[in-house]
Amino acid sequence: MPQQLKLSELVNEIEDAIQNRFAGKTFWITAEITDVKKQTDKRWCFLKFIEKEGNLITTEMKGVFWSTTFYNVEKFEQLTGKPFASGLQITCNVRVRFHKRFGIDLEVLEIDHSYALGKLALEKDLTLERLLKENPSLIRLEDGQYFTYNKQITLPLVMQKIALVTAPNSDGQRDFKQEIANNQYGYAFAVTEFLTQIQGDNSSKLIVQQLQLIQSQMEKFDLVVIVRGGGSQTDFKPFDDYELSKYVAAFPLPVFTGIGHDRNTSIVDMMARQHKTPTKVASSIVDHNYNFESTIVNLKERFFGNAENLVEKAKETIRQLKRTVKAYSPSSILQKGYAIITINDKIIIDPKKVHPGSEIKTLLRDEIIFSTVTKKSNNEPDL
Amino acid sequence: MNLTYNEAYQQLSTLVEQIEDNEIQLDTLAEKVAQAKELIAFCETKLRTIDNEVTQALGDNNPKDL
Repeated sequence: MPQQLKLSELVNEIEDAIQNRFAGKTFWITAEITDVKKQTDKRWCFLKFIEKEGNLITTEMKGVFWSTTFYNVEKFEQLTGKPFASGLQITCNVRVRFHKRFGIDLEVLEIDHSYALGKLALEKDLTLERLLKENPSLIRLEDGQYFTYNKQITLPLVMQKIALVTAPNSDGQRDFKQEIANNQYGYAFAVTEFLTQIQGDNSSKLIVQQLQLIQSQMEKFDLVVIVRGGGSQTDFKPFDDYELSKYVAAFPLPVFTGIGHDRNTSIVDMMARQHKTPTKVASSIVDHNYNFESTIVNLKERFFGNAENLVEKAKETIRQLKRTVKAYSPSSILQKGYAIITINDKIIIDPKKVHPGSEIKTLLRDEIIFSTVTKKSNNEPDL
Repeated sequence: MNLTYNEAYQQLSTLVEQIEDNEIQLDTLAEKVAQAKELIAFCETKLRTIDNEVTQALGDNNPKDL
């Protein structure tokens, strides 16, 4: 009978061997993750690292984040705007651990976020490239800016009839509607809600369906608003979807987005008129209408300013006329020392009616002189 | 008055141009002033009144289970 070991003795030896080779060492690996189980309350995350040949998993190893390194998971979600979930490829620093009961696993110490971001950016770049290449009449790139058919639609002077695409009972829906309803100028709006799931695998298709529904009755609306919001929501993938992005770029009503993320701009944002948050979408609509009202107020001031001038000028002309009339009145003339000569109580305009012997009256300011004409001759002005 | 904002804006702009270019005579001024006042009131009122405030789109596409 060969020598027998207790299980623990063998396992101790295994542990020693592992200790000898791996103690105090860390390794950088790049691998796909699967079976991700996050326990946010305890700040743990369990997962499996796998490697595949085709569809066949050839290598598999348990992995774990403990509470001291769990912030890596949260940071990953913040930076990439994606949930930390199965199917991702990550690069991370790990340590090999061995437990006599639970076996071997890899404790993750750090995630290389630049790798994840790079991969995400690459996917986005590929989608953008494809959008440009396959839709040259809809989308073009100039000086790093995307110009789309949708972005170039002229906005109506006033936007009041809003088609709102959002998730039911979401922060985005609430924030947008509050800002619109409580606008400081008392503007009225009609908001029609097109509710849909806005996160998760199928949501880009569902959003397209809502847009189609809006398009089928587009004469009822001035614009489309797509908002989402909420602090912990991180899944932006639907808004980088090729079909949805293309649909937005070609959409015949102006589209305002408030998808809300500090670092990431989604492709849908680039195809439409982007605002940072649902609240900002609402305030920009209110401001747009305020601009129109300001234009009207400006026109009003110009019109009535000119109308007043016109009336004022007319009054001045009348005053002027009155003065002229007064200046030429007989009493004004007499005041100045001139005299009026009458014959038979008529002003002499034609001197031919006056002859030597005619009785004439000379009217002065205060007196009348009665005379008889003795002589008449031509008046040669000494010029 | 049933106009679009565009029409109201155009008509008001035309009135302003006319008065600024001295094309409005005194005898038509009262009439033009009344027109301008009406256009302005129309815009101010339309900005602040609308039929239905918030509605939900009716259609099969709306997910009911959400």
